[in-house]
Amino acid sequence: MTEANLVEGIGITAEIIRSHLDSAAEEMRRALIKTAFNPVVYDVHDFGISIYNNALDLISAAPGIPSFLGANDYAIQKAVSYVGAENLEAGDILMMNYPYWNSAHTYDATLFAPIFDPKTTELWAYEVIRCHWLDLGAKNVGSVMDSTEMHQEGIVLPGTKVYKKGQPNTDVLEILKFNSRMPEAIFGDLNAQVSAIRTGERRLHQILQKFGKPMMRSAIDYILAAGEKASLEALEKLPHGSWKATDYLDDDGFTDDLIPMNVAVTVSSNEFKVDFTGSANAVKGPVNLPFGATQSICKIAFKGLTTPNASPNAGHYRPLKVEAPEGSLFHAVYPAPTFLLRAGTVALELIYKALAEGFKGLISASSGGDNPGFSMIGRRRDNGKLYWISNNEPVGWGAFATHDGGNGVQHHTVAVGRNTPIEVMELRTGMFIEQMQLTADSGGAGKYRGGLGVQRGIRFVEEGMFTCMIKKSKTRPWGIDGGGSPEANRMYIYAGKDDGKKVGTYRFQAQVGDRCILFTSGGGGYGNPRERDPELVLSDVLDGYVSPGAARSIYAVAVVDGKIEYQETKKLRA
Amino acid sequence: MLKRNRDGFRFRIGVDTGGTFVDAVEIDEKTRRFRIAKSPTTPSDPAVGFMNVIEKLGTPLDQTSVILHGTTLGVNAIIQEKGANTGIITNEGFNDIFEIGRGNVPDKNMYDFNYYKPPRLIKRRNVVGIPARISVTGGVLEGLDEDALKDAAKFLVEEQKVNSIAVSFLHSYKNPEHERRVAARLSKLYPDVSTSISSQIANEYREYERTSTTVIDAYIKPIVSRYLEKVQRILVEKGFRGIYLIMRSDGGTLSAASTAELPVSTIQSGPAGGVVGSIYLSKLCNRKKLISLDIGGTSLDVCVIEDSTANIVHQTYVSDYPLLLTMYDVRSIGAGGGSIASVKNGLLQVGPESAGADPGPMCYGRGGARPTVTDALVILGYIDPAIFLSGEMPLKPELSRKGIEEQVCRLLDVDLTDAAAGIARVTVTNSMGALRQITVEEGRDPAEFSLLAFGGAGPPFAAILAWELGIPEVIVPNVPAAFSALGMLMSNVTFEVSQTHITTFEQLSEEKLKELLAPLETKVESVLRDQSTSYKDIQIERSLELRYSGQEHSLELVVKEGSTIRDIRRNFDELHLKRYGHMMKYDVELVNLRAKGVGELEKPMLPILPKRERGGKAASASKTRAYCLTTNRMTDFLNYSRMDLLQGDTVQGPAIIDEGVTRTIIHTGQALRVDEFGNLVISSGTNQI
Repeated sequence: MTEANLVEGIGITAEIIRSHLDSAAEEMRRALIKTAFNPVVYDVHDFGISIYNNALDLISAAPGIPSFLGANDYAIQKAVSYVGAENLEAGDILMMNYPYWNSAHTYDATLFAPIFDPKTTELWAYEVIRCHWLDLGAKNVGSVMDSTEMHQEGIVLPGTKVYKKGQPNTDVLEILKFNSRMPEAIFGDLNAQVSAIRTGERRLHQILQKFGKPMMRSAIDYILAAGEKASLEALEKLPHGSWKATDYLDDDGFTDDLIPMNVAVTVSSNEFKVDFTGSANAVKGPVNLPFGATQSICKIAFKGLTTPNASPNAGHYRPLKVEAPEGSLFHAVYPAPTFLLRAGTVALELIYKALAEGFKGLISASSGGDNPGFSMIGRRRDNGKLYWISNNEPVGWGAFATHDGGNGVQHHTVAVGRNTPIEVMELRTGMFIEQMQLTADSGGAGKYRGGLGVQRGIRFVEEGMFTCMIKKSKTRPWGIDGGGSPEANRMYIYAGKDDGKKVGTYRFQAQVGDRCILFTSGGGGYGNPRERDPELVLSDVLDGYVSPGAARSIYAVAVVDGKIEYQETKKLRA
Repeated sequence: MLKRNRDGFRFRIGVDTGGTFVDAVEIDEKTRRFRIAKSPTTPSDPAVGFMNVIEKLGTPLDQTSVILHGTTLGVNAIIQEKGANTGIITNEGFNDIFEIGRGNVPDKNMYDFNYYKPPRLIKRRNVVGIPARISVTGGVLEGLDEDALKDAAKFLVEEQKVNSIAVSFLHSYKNPEHERRVAARLSKLYPDVSTSISSQIANEYREYERTSTTVIDAYIKPIVSRYLEKVQRILVEKGFRGIYLIMRSDGGTLSAASTAELPVSTIQSGPAGGVVGSIYLSKLCNRKKLISLDIGGTSLDVCVIEDSTANIVHQTYVSDYPLLLTMYDVRSIGAGGGSIASVKNGLLQVGPESAGADPGPMCYGRGGARPTVTDALVILGYIDPAIFLSGEMPLKPELSRKGIEEQVCRLLDVDLTDAAAGIARVTVTNSMGALRQITVEEGRDPAEFSLLAFGGAGPPFAAILAWELGIPEVIVPNVPAAFSALGMLMSNVTFEVSQTHITTFEQLSEEKLKELLAPLETKVESVLRDQSTSYKDIQIERSLELRYSGQEHSLELVVKEGSTIRDIRRNFDELHLKRYGHMMKYDVELVNLRAKGVGELEKPMLPILPKRERGGKAASASKTRAYCLTTNRMTDFLNYSRMDLLQGDTVQGPAIIDEGVTRTIIHTGQALRVDEFGNLVISSGTNQI
């Protein structure tokens, strides 16, 4: 709104056109969620929906997984340049999942469609919908944790027509079908994506017809310019300088060694530069990141700091520059394995970590640091077909300069995603949930407290393949200004000979009676806990967020029988 | 049967309690005439406001057959966080289902990494888990620990002083035994504490959504039930011997006693009255596509009506809390006559903050210190201060002027008229957002609809809104300022139950389906029979929520009696094709069963407006200097009194049609015609590019 009002005349129309485009994307999103076959789409919202003009500038996007949106930007450029715009026809839908172009692993099926002006047959826009599919024939069912090259991670389509001039391209679909262990699920999702693409296509035709080509072109130019202007204005107001940070990936699945990640962030009034030079080279296991995914992570961080509330377009990202040497962890090249995309989740908060000192008061302490997930694969009770059900567990969010971190909230990289209901999990899988609740004292202490992590106990009542995918299990979330660093994410396994084995990323064949417990990390604290208002500490004790023992030893507040002992507290705090 | 004039009954009354005003409509079945009354809402004791308006109306209560009532009491308690001190009893180890929810950050905060998660409605200290566990198939895995229950109840009631308890156990939709035992025990131990149990409120799977619905119910139950009982008691004391029905969110009604058992169903009761009225009018005037637009003092509600039916949803949100509840798909924003205008960072903002009923707009002279939309309307000349509310409440325009001058003009360096026009424009833009959301954003073309405008601030804004959005026609019905109350008079008694039962079609037979639906139908019928009222007819509609095996979201399909599984399958495929553009050969899965009973009530007849004698013409008594929003200047508006208008009359804009409690404003280039029922039908023209 404010951006559009900057220029008179076109500003109002551009604003109207922008909201039309946003609602087209929103409509695509609804169609996708309502018809999807896969919990990663309908609950976790693990998809990215974007609309581009014919110069491949992002002009609209629907809320989904933030990192997916940026990934689409890179993917569509690579795919169109490979296929050639001149080879596209109305009604075509193409699929691309080559990881180094796709900015993600092979299981993220990026479908895109060219949109032509029905009158002049001129190509004027593209729609892109990326969804995580359940199986494309990788070496293992579900997640691949020990691939050493791309070819173990599933079948690859480089930008291939799955629909030609509106008709299914049966030859290609047959290849997909015979290369998946779960063809019904992937075709269900393919149909959902096609349905959403057709919905978007109809709406884009209407918008073009309503406003006409010249107006659309000027309005889109205006929208992009306004986006850039908004980012530059925000940059101008941010602190300028250069800051560095280091964090670690747990391991690559082959050795136990920590993998170093380094970032330097340089902020000036016209550029926001993120440089991952100095991080590890690409490693043996599938934790590497294609460069498009690295860019996408940087886009999330940049957007959050500059224009968090505006619907994103390519203009917003113009001042952003990302660097990572080819062949490194953050710029994986063929045939490096990328299936787990591990580095991305941790990198986002690494950027914030670098800025925490220089951007005082603008940045929260670290969250639990990950979107700790687990999944189970087995056979459905009712029809014996394979199921794959996963869950992203919430973590604690980091405390901020003026408020506590949220308890049990999805990590930033999947913030609008939802956990899987217990009743769905028990209905659909062989897992019985023994407990699911917040973990007392798991929030980093501070003047403002980090949010609490959760704990979930699982007992297996049917056999199946269980996978836990937990990152940041060896290094703790960081606090700010003396705020506490809570215990890291972890899972304990009680299966076969394992009696409480602590794991991060792990897979095992669960038998009836096996158990495991997942603890997600709380958020880092902000400021000295001894400066926390004693009344807030009391309230935390009454609500069971903080134990009376921790209130005394960490916050220096004596709480006895639900009341503050003021004298004692004074002494403790002296 | 509720025969007209039986037992000396002659009147029906609809009462709609909003955030700002209580509106009441009386219909005299003998003369077919309406009368309306309006009185301020009294938040400290809402029964006072209700009785004030009944008294003002002066209807002989002993001759009144039915009083239908909708109230925003429940929803306001949630929004303002002024509900009961509430506790939760749930399974041990699962205390935080309500606090964690689904873990997600609201979509609008997707990139906000300093997102502040607001404190939940219920403090964690008020949540107690007790040993008990039902399995996914409904078996008892762990018996209910009665001692732990007793301790939990004692702690919540005696130490935490809760006066309402929500009970929600995992898989209770499969087997409600534990929840029912908890409720029974609680009512024995603490009869004054109200309880809400999840299997009764939303018998569907997904524990957070079911728990949230139950908690919200518990949170408002003491307030709503106390209020309903009090009103009923006073009505009886005053000689009322008819039936007292409460409007629910799905447009149906139930007795006050039944509603007090499920107060969450009143969450949208006021707007639902307006939608029922809109559906009625849609049929009466043969306008199959309508958008109902209700602008009151604090909020604006819109709903799409197609084929003379309103869209229904089974899940909604209030303050970010999900509710599994059948209701009309009404979208609301905080915009109304009481919305406060302010200047922030050099930008003029209107709402969502509202001055409400108390203190109200500055011109009410009741201590309002911030200018509102109503104040701007006074300055723009749309409201005549002397005859506001038919002269019952003379306004103080000098206070409006002072407020806008000091709090808008000075900060923006504009004159008074421009500031007031700015406030009106921003209000129009905000309102357009809500209308666009349900039309263009969902693939509907506004040009195919008529806009039905009501609520105190609907008629002043409707014509300009339609002009801006390209809606060709506006209808201002009779008694627009109390139209929701009028709509309530057109409602039926309804009750709906649902049951989650997940099974594939391969394992389903016609007999099995019948067996599953039977208890729902019995329940619905017995509740309808229990309303101490009689019906023209009772109809039971059965529907199934279905999906392709593997999907999560389902589509609702109404099933006719005698449908075979094969018929249902085919109809589902067709519905999926129609809605999403494809169908599949996959197995189909049943998710939820629903039965909705409708007990049809006798409806009042609307009067026909007489025609003007040949050669006659509607006369304008005077002119008013006011601001024209289609030409952006002060100009002369002709004044008409709606009472003087007759069937077939036409009026050219700019004009103001006054009817005491509200005024219809048409601008230059717009015109209106009066139809046979007395509706004002406006040709709005358009500002479309």
